[in-house]
Amino acid sequence: MLQILADGLIIGSVISLGAIGLSLTLSIVRFSNFSHGELLGWGSYVALSALAVFTATRESLAAPLGPFSFGWGMLGALVVSMGVTALLALALDHVLFRRLRSQGSITLVIASFGAALAMRNLLMYWYGGVPQYYTQNLQISIPLIPRSIGGGLRITADQMLVLVLTLATVTALHLFLRHSTLGRSMRATAINPALARVTGIDPERVLRATWVIGGMLAAVAGVFAGITVQLRPTMGVDLLLPLFAAVILGGIGSVWGAVLGGFIVGLAESASVSIVGAEYRAAAAFVVLILILLVRPTGLFGEKH
Amino acid sequence: MTAPPAPDTPLALQVDALEAAYEPGLPIVRGASLTVQRGEIVAILGPNGAGKSTLVKAVAGLVPVTGGRSLLFGQDITRVPAHRMVFQGLAFVPQTENVFVNLSIAENLELAAAVVRADRRERLDPVYAMFPDLARQRRLPAGQLSGGQRQMLAVARALITRPRLLVLDEPSAGLSPKLVGLVFDKLREVRDSGVTVLLVEQNVKAALALADKAAVLVEGRERLFAPAAELLDDERVAALYLGRHTGRQAQGVQP
Repeated sequence: MLQILADGLIIGSVISLGAIGLSLTLSIVRFSNFSHGELLGWGSYVALSALAVFTATRESLAAPLGPFSFGWGMLGALVVSMGVTALLALALDHVLFRRLRSQGSITLVIASFGAALAMRNLLMYWYGGVPQYYTQNLQISIPLIPRSIGGGLRITADQMLVLVLTLATVTALHLFLRHSTLGRSMRATAINPALARVTGIDPERVLRATWVIGGMLAAVAGVFAGITVQLRPTMGVDLLLPLFAAVILGGIGSVWGAVLGGFIVGLAESASVSIVGAEYRAAAAFVVLILILLVRPTGLFGEKH
Repeated sequence: MTAPPAPDTPLALQVDALEAAYEPGLPIVRGASLTVQRGEIVAILGPNGAGKSTLVKAVAGLVPVTGGRSLLFGQDITRVPAHRMVFQGLAFVPQTENVFVNLSIAENLELAAAVVRADRRERLDPVYAMFPDLARQRRLPAGQLSGGQRQMLAVARALITRPRLLVLDEPSAGLSPKLVGLVFDKLREVRDSGVTVLLVEQNVKAALALADKAAVLVEGRERLFAPAAELLDDERVAALYLGRHTGRQAQGVQP
């Protein structure tokens, strides 16, 4: 029982971080970006390549840090991947979405499907379809709660770090959106783009910031998925529907909504694995989604849109 | 950052044969001209669909201009994008949805100051002094304000940028007569503080009482442009509202 909760929170971390970026794109760039999942996939593989480069140059970077399965090289690779994935998101906007923006959101949605296919297949082409791992080191999970209480709870140090870093990232983003001028400009543009322009906010600058933040969060989510599960070229498409479910659940445009939505979807998935079996895992998110939307059509934290 | 220094011209705004269209080939503003002297309040009047809002939106850079030009204190601002207008000294207050409802009063004003890279305190304090109601409730989300308070916040937000010309699209829309009086009093105060004001109005009587000059717009073009005091008793104003064209005016109508 407790284990289901812990597993759900870890899957939920990945979904939350991805969902925030998707939600920001939806409310600021104003279209459903179906290639957002691929940014997670790319983020995880860029980190794999960066890690390989780091460990090839200095072997000590691969040495595990304390209780974790990875060394400094992994953290460096995460930072590199955040930068590269942000640039990738900007590049996608520059060569594709920007040019189609005047055509309306349906065109953008279809274009994002195409982008997703291309991105996924490039990953498949370069890295192959076989699942990979950042490290071959085995990790022993730490029993936090003995079996006698609620079935017990075991968690690895990696998983704990993922949870802590997710909360830290979300808090940092929250402070940025709440207190920085650029963050407030993003919120202003999301709620009222015309008034934002009149106020003197450059819409292009806000769009660029949105892609950069979405890309960086996607990279973090992708790397976390790689650390806690494995790297697969289909990671993006597999996560896409849970991401959308989390965004809609939480309410479009709400950061905390996306986080809560992500954790709820994560918990629903992990509960369904043990209750009805792993085959129905993907369906779990949608059952929860439908139930919540029946009660609150704007999502949990939905603002009027 | 502040607006460039005003050149030595008494003309705050000069609109020359301006044409504007949301869609190519469908002009809403069709060659409108008017001038606003420094320190004046000028009202744009006219029946529904005359293109009043589109005219001020075109001046503010929100609607594509397809012909003519507009000069702000002698500087051509016809092609200046909407988000650069505050840096030119023009602040625009939209008719509706003119505050950020997800931000507090203070955040609305702070954002406006931060965008023009001005010191918060230095910009907010005088505006709070002018709008004590807003100062009292500064932590309140703008979405919870009443219509009149919202309009005050919208004006306050525009003043934060220290404009030389304040352009308002129907500031009385949806307000009770009493509140319209309060908003208009505020606009007089704004004018007296040295800001030139251009506004669109539906409420002819109130607008003519407020403004120094008024233009009556019909089918995208100004038909009358005269001191407000003269227009108060001018029968042509009512005739234009009712769509009765005199021979001279009818010539201007495109088939």
